[in-house]
Amino acid sequence: MSLKSYSRARAVHVMLVYTGGCNGCDIEIVNCIFSPRYDAEQYKVFLTWNPREADVLVVTGPVTKHTEKPLKEIYNSIPEPKAVVAAGACALMGGVYKNIHGDIPSEEIAGPVDEVIPVDAKVPGCAVRPEDILSGLVATLPKLLEAK
Amino acid sequence: MSDNNNKKIIETEVPMGMVHSAAIEPYRVRLFVEDEIVRDAEITVGINHRGIERIMEGLPVEKANSLTEKICGICSNSHIWNSVLVAEKALGIEIPERASYIRIVVEELERLHSHLLYLAHGSEVLGHETFAMRLFYIRETVMELLGMIGGNRVQYGAPIIGGIRPRCDLNEMRIKKIKEGMDFLEEKVAAFADRFTSDPMIMARITGVAVLSKKDAIRLATSGPTLRATGVDIDLRRDMESYDPFEFDIITQKDGDVKSNLLVRVFEIFESIKIIRQAIGNLPPGKITNRSWGMQDTPIVKSYIEVPRGKLYHSYKLEEGRTRNVIVRTPSITNIGAMEHACIGAHITDAQLAIVQCDPCFTCTDRAIKIIRL
Repeated sequence: MSLKSYSRARAVHVMLVYTGGCNGCDIEIVNCIFSPRYDAEQYKVFLTWNPREADVLVVTGPVTKHTEKPLKEIYNSIPEPKAVVAAGACALMGGVYKNIHGDIPSEEIAGPVDEVIPVDAKVPGCAVRPEDILSGLVATLPKLLEAK
Repeated sequence: MSDNNNKKIIETEVPMGMVHSAAIEPYRVRLFVEDEIVRDAEITVGINHRGIERIMEGLPVEKANSLTEKICGICSNSHIWNSVLVAEKALGIEIPERASYIRIVVEELERLHSHLLYLAHGSEVLGHETFAMRLFYIRETVMELLGMIGGNRVQYGAPIIGGIRPRCDLNEMRIKKIKEGMDFLEEKVAAFADRFTSDPMIMARITGVAVLSKKDAIRLATSGPTLRATGVDIDLRRDMESYDPFEFDIITQKDGDVKSNLLVRVFEIFESIKIIRQAIGNLPPGKITNRSWGMQDTPIVKSYIEVPRGKLYHSYKLEEGRTRNVIVRTPSITNIGAMEHACIGAHITDAQLAIVQCDPCFTCTDRAIKIIRL
């Protein structure tokens, strides 16, 4: 293990971005990292709101038209190596909001997250469970640690 | 917001948002600042708008009710409950007493987790992360009870037209677990309240900050605990039929500052625990759903209920079993005026606190409005 990946493994910073979710997933993610019950901080995973110090971007919600541009900007301002986790049914396939009545697409939604930015790990669930978020974060670690 | 007669032009503007590190939800605040004192504030919502009312239009009423749950992840039961109440009122359905009691249990558990989340968020904004972590730890008990009743930690879908879902029935084991959970909560929240109110630093930080007067609160049509924190004794739970069998007090505080807002929620947690204990203590036996009802066309029916953040309004009419003309108005949309007004006169570092003290839920709010593009 190189010195870089040794130090990266000891400070994984997670940034959470809302893109029009219902608050359910978002609070579960904050709960998972922050609360003493699940406590991802004991594995050196920290929550941050600054894209420039983030390693993992967690995106929740179907990307609404208004949040499409900010999401791309946030993604571009995260330094390499970076990983993206799409959390929740809305982020994976648009959830209940993607279509109105059958397959007529809703005009408010810019599409699921992987149509806007590249996604590395997908966490299903409505709302996501804290255990699943932890395994989603763990799934992105090889990409962060093996980067040169 | 400021007086029109002597309107000054304030040139210094501090914008925040749409995505900002201090505000977790996406919304936009423009603070007009003069010597670090906020003179005017403007909140813009609509970033999260997904048009749920458009999706509900023309759906079968059972499906539309399930969809209202996705309006908000914090008060999901309130939305589905109120939507079901509209249909029950329109079709004249009587629900069994046991179902009514279980609905109250779920709603009050939701109020508990919403208020604990508010207190945790408030503590985090105050800069006291230890309290926030402590409150998340206490809140986990409520989430587990909700997960046990509904099968899902966030969206549990307890009410259906005519009663509650069979999986949400309370048996002996569940009642025992809820009782244990309530004992744990009462002890831990009391300990938290003691430490919170006896901490001189916290008290100095929140007393007299971001004051909303009683007159302004009424003028701005504030609702819920934010209104009760200014001393107005209004709670729709007193007028709701479902709450008739239960004894509880309406909590009010006098000042309308951050301290009053936090304390109203702390004391409401104890009232909720009282209601849950009464409900599971004398839970009537019998059926949990009334299935003898038929569909018919109805005019627009309205329903107001008291939810953790204030007054929630749902209305729709039924045509051939499908919902038409759906309107949802969430409490946060009426509280936006209070948030803007509470910022005025506060120091710029307190502006975020002034917004958070009104318990904003902008994801709810964005469901309930329509952006008109010209």
